Amino acid sequence: MANPVSQFQILSKEPDATAAFYSELFGWTVDAANPLGYRRIDTGSRDGIQGGIWPAPPEAANFVQLFISVDDVEAAAQHAERLGAKILIRPTVLPQGEEMAVLLDPHGMPFGIWRSSRK
Amino acid sequence: MHDGPFRQRLKREFESRRAANARYSLRAFARFLGTDHATLSQVLRGKRNVPRLRIRGWCERLGMGPEETAVYCGATHPPDHRMAEALNIIGEPVHWQIIQLCNSAEFRADSRWIAARAGCSTDFVNLAVTRLLRLGLLEMRDPARWSTVSAASEREFRATALARVNTHG
Repeated sequence: MANPVSQFQILSKEPDATAAFYSELFGWTVDAANPLGYRRIDTGSRDGIQGGIWPAPPEAANFVQLFISVDDVEAAAQHAERLGAKILIRPTVLPQGEEMAVLLDPHGMPFGIWRSSRK
Repeated sequence: MHDGPFRQRLKREFESRRAANARYSLRAFARFLGTDHATLSQVLRGKRNVPRLRIRGWCERLGMGPEETAVYCGATHPPDHRMAEALNIIGEPVHWQIIQLCNSAEFRADSRWIAARAGCSTDFVNLAVTRLLRLGLLEMRDPARWSTVSAASEREFRATALARVNTHG
């Protein structure tokens, strides 16, 4: 399987205000009706990728994180670790069956790896 | 000195004593802490800094462990990343509430459900869940069940959490 960038995630200290801003600016729709209350962004286009908004901790700056699709999150995390990455959040199965992990690359940039829920 | 989190902790302690006994007064709380009620009143209202030399003694009287006491005594402004993580984990009761809810029979893997029980926003729960995941105090290996570090009491949980902050920070 190829490993495309499949999601973007905006980490914001003001998630509602961020959602309102981008919705107003680009006509994106944001839907948080899911178990984590995750604000899923639908850009309304099949071009590009879709994303979401997650709260950022008060001590951090707002930032954007990219998620890359993998077949096996555990294996990809271990591979990244062998290449010098640090695992920030270990492989985690979300309430709707998707799996993700968050890592820090060897140069200090955080990124996520992602597998959609098993069919 | 960054005494906001310790002030919040004092406020919560006083409120919980008031909830258990409506007649419990600020004067009684001040007596318990070994200070006068005017000083304590000003501290709680943010009109006065927490007297630096008193923090250790007040932590002891409130039954805090040495790790937690060290965090409050060493808090700087602005806090560095590790200090911010430590202050958040010991200062926000929602972390312990999440651990307890995860281990309850009625648990639902749903931040909205947790938020309703913890009396806070879903975003606040998600921030705490992220922190617990990052520190390895919570694991999601199954869509429906979340497993947690074992801790018999809030104090034990805080000590474990602070140890993780130091190793993961």
